Amino acid sequence: MAHPLREKAAISGVGETAYTRGTPKSALALQLEASLAAIADAGLDPRDIDGVVPYFPGGGIAEDLVANLGLPDLKLSVFVPMGGATCVAAIQTAAMAVATGVCKHVLISVGRTGYSGARVSTRLQQFPQFALAAEFEAPIGMFAPAQLYAQGARRHMQLYGTTARHFAEIAVVTRQHAILNGNVVMNKPLTVEEHHASRMISDPFRLFDCSLESDGGAAIIVSAADRARDLRKPLVTVLGVAEGHPESPASIAQRPDLLEFGLAKAAPRAYDMAGVGPKDIDVAEIYDCFTFTVINQLEMLGFCKKGEGGPFVMNGRIGVGGELPINTHGGLLSQGHVVGLNHVVELTRQLRREAGKAQVKDAEVGLVTGYGDMGDGSVAILRRAA
Amino acid sequence: MNAAVPAPLPERPLPTPTRDSQPFWDGMREGRFMVQHCTGCGKARHYPRPVCPHCFSMESTFKEMPSGGVIHTWTVCHHPFNFFFKASAPYVVALVDMDAGVRVNAPLRGVAEADIKIGQRVKLGFEPVTKEITLPFFVAG
Repeated sequence: MAHPLREKAAISGVGETAYTRGTPKSALALQLEASLAAIADAGLDPRDIDGVVPYFPGGGIAEDLVANLGLPDLKLSVFVPMGGATCVAAIQTAAMAVATGVCKHVLISVGRTGYSGARVSTRLQQFPQFALAAEFEAPIGMFAPAQLYAQGARRHMQLYGTTARHFAEIAVVTRQHAILNGNVVMNKPLTVEEHHASRMISDPFRLFDCSLESDGGAAIIVSAADRARDLRKPLVTVLGVAEGHPESPASIAQRPDLLEFGLAKAAPRAYDMAGVGPKDIDVAEIYDCFTFTVINQLEMLGFCKKGEGGPFVMNGRIGVGGELPINTHGGLLSQGHVVGLNHVVELTRQLRREAGKAQVKDAEVGLVTGYGDMGDGSVAILRRAA
Repeated sequence: MNAAVPAPLPERPLPTPTRDSQPFWDGMREGRFMVQHCTGCGKARHYPRPVCPHCFSMESTFKEMPSGGVIHTWTVCHHPFNFFFKASAPYVVALVDMDAGVRVNAPLRGVAEADIKIGQRVKLGFEPVTKEITLPFFVAG
């Protein structure tokens, strides 16, 4: 029997602001600007929104959205506290809301001043999920995700022979895609040599292995599929979606296998719900907080075996025109960091054939992941409906 | 800025022991590696927390455990995300599989970066940083 959520929800609208380093706007203003763009893209009126899943912390919450968008009858306000896995996991929450009839149109939105506002080392202190890290790891000099995730990357290199050249391939190809997109922070070509020469942040991560601290906003509308069919844009349905939580969710250090996290549980569930497998995916937008994180997730997603993610990304496979184009918009590494909601925006555009110079030919089925909060994972498989 | 007034030194981030973790930090202060053990099933757990995830017992005791272990992985921190650590960067942080059956993450001292290997034996040291707080570090062992 088909999963009860399969194709019951659709991504009916997408919107984003300019991605920059530096802005006079507040995170809330960026979030609202992107939200209005997504609502217009869907052909809806702001008053049609009756459910909200704002990214938290940062930007506005339901009260701000009601006050600014004049939402007359909000029926659902929830947070999905999964860090970088939030935005894709929120698609599952929103799909449940529209499939059951609780809501008609749910707004998922992010506004971030990651460059001009609080930077990464201070921002994390706001997360209750980081309390253990604050007590046991910050005092010994481990604060930032770049440090906490570096130990997993180092272990992958030692166990499987993954190299900085593999990391560089992700950075370089992602930059090529960013240049095709245009609305990006990093708009100049990057070479493997420049990657290798960039300063070390936390070994093995160099500067160009790390995602951007940037300003911007993004938003999507999740609607009931039968309603979305009559809206403005080609129908893109949620074929499969799932979230997963790792062992030792608040401490990577205490996790039995540092290289096995929430996505390992979520991916089989999403594929089962969708009725497709890795071979059916035409384009993938993979949460790229770090280059290595993409390699690790490709393994969890079953595109290759554990330990083989490094060689897998080489030889043109992940570029537009390759076997599995990845992060066709420039990702968090080169476009901007709006906690991966830009990945959902891009996948939707790919499936609508609105991706411009980065368009993957005949893209029918695509996959997007979220990854965050020390290893929470989420994945959605979207389809261009007939 | 007035050059005559030196900028205040950056504050060291310190742990705030909780009701659950206080015995661990008390042990550190006394130079003892105290690990929480479930009274019900005997399993060790770290970081300290109220319930055993194996048998759901809320009864536990802290036992002093051996201070040795082997390196599971490591990183070398070059960029100081907190200004306090600027003076010590680059510094190695090793994640260690302790003989006690839990992991500890702490700075590794006195081992050259090129010589670090997974599986290498190290032992825990204790560095008092305030009257209340002693932090862990590792040396070859």
